[in-house]
Amino acid sequence: MEIVHVKQLKKSYGTNKVLRGIDFTAQAGEIIGVIGKNGAGKSTFLEILMTLKTYDEGNVFVFDKEVRSLSTHQLEGIRKQISVVLQPTQFYKSLKVVELLKLFKAYYKSSVNIEKIIADFKLEPYRKTYFNKLSGGWKQIVSLAIAFLSEPKMLILDEPTTGLDPHMRNILWAYITKYNKRTGGTVILTTHNMDEVELYCDKVMLLNDGVGETFDTTKRILDSGYKSIHDFYLSKVSM
Amino acid sequence: MLVNQLKYDLLLFSRELFYLIFTIIVPPATYLFMGTLYGDFTYAGGLNYAETYTPSFILLITFGVVFFAFGFDQVMNRTIGVEKRISITPVPKKTLLLSNILKSIIITSFGYFLVFFIGMIVHDLSFVPLNFVASFGFFMLLNAALLIISSAIYSLFTSVNAALVFSIVIFQIGMISGGFAMPVDMMPAFVQTIADFNPLYHMNQLFIAVWNGQFIVDNQSLLSIGYILGCVTISLLLLRFVYKVKK
Repeated sequence: MEIVHVKQLKKSYGTNKVLRGIDFTAQAGEIIGVIGKNGAGKSTFLEILMTLKTYDEGNVFVFDKEVRSLSTHQLEGIRKQISVVLQPTQFYKSLKVVELLKLFKAYYKSSVNIEKIIADFKLEPYRKTYFNKLSGGWKQIVSLAIAFLSEPKMLILDEPTTGLDPHMRNILWAYITKYNKRTGGTVILTTHNMDEVELYCDKVMLLNDGVGETFDTTKRILDSGYKSIHDFYLSKVSM
Repeated sequence: MLVNQLKYDLLLFSRELFYLIFTIIVPPATYLFMGTLYGDFTYAGGLNYAETYTPSFILLITFGVVFFAFGFDQVMNRTIGVEKRISITPVPKKTLLLSNILKSIIITSFGYFLVFFIGMIVHDLSFVPLNFVASFGFFMLLNAALLIISSAIYSLFTSVNAALVFSIVIFQIGMISGGFAMPVDMMPAFVQTIADFNPLYHMNQLFIAVWNGQFIVDNQSLLSIGYILGCVTISLLLLRFVYKVKK
């Protein structure tokens, strides 16, 4: 089942052409890594998929609906099925973890039990901790817990592991892969960590100067002669 | 959803010491302190201290709430990414905006009753039902105007530090040239010139007149109303422009 279909997507900020014609598809249950150097247009691309930003040309279908043609009410319906983890992760700093979970549960009108989420994400010791008192890693975990509250069909993660230590990174990926296997949800993420792409992503899209230079399965990229996704990235992207 | 959002908005406000100090603590404390210094003076229109400064300090609280807890708060949420994260949720934007407006109205109304209560206890301020209702209605209109102006001004900020410095400076300028500290007529000429361009000064003059049942339609009041409406119109146009640019 196709979750996202993007055709010749173009987006500019004034005279700066950020996206110059991107083709992309995401099927249900896929984990797709979007890679590219800083300024390549990764975040803009994800924000368009999140229905956060408009676009100039092309087509973007999310859950079979063209984003541009949707009313505000219809967009709210789409957003119910999408969850995100942004970079940097920020929420109301003076709300406690449990309060944030309750607030977002109300936003998504979710039936998920807060206590189960707290138990699943091992948040019990932090339930009464203010968000701004959490470490970067736990902020990301809370952000992911909030993202899972809505039981989304699509999860969009913008550099979810940036700044995390290896343990925290493993924990985060364990949750993401578990979600992907349990619910069959689609995961689209950006990252600068090529090892993560190689380990966890089914497909890779390389964005270079606003163009989707490569969009293929991780396996096929590696089978084409690259030792690793890291090598693939270095050979394709100049400084 | 609205009630839930409002509950959290009020909770967030109550946990921000910075907002509390500038909105709920400093203005009433200043009102009390000034009362001990100038309580026996007679002001323009033959009004006493309480008749002149009770509406002024209510307006000052409103200014503080709307600029700090509404405008500055928006910049903070925008710059740290909270606004973006919330905008991806399915909660209607109208609900968020309405909650924010209601939060400001509740807090400013609290300020209204707090200063009024202090005035009654300390300065024997009289309660005239008709004036009270008219004043509260006019206060709501001023509240709406300040919310729009504040929203437009803070929509231009992309940095918390710049917004913070601006807020503190504008609070001082607003307070001095708005006629909250002492009558503008007694101030140097340049302050009087600034006051002419300060919408708060015009709001203050109109509010004092309405509060004391002295409002009359003349050149001065029409000029003040026109200036405030002009500021609101420019603010609405600015908000529309910023919204388009953001998209």
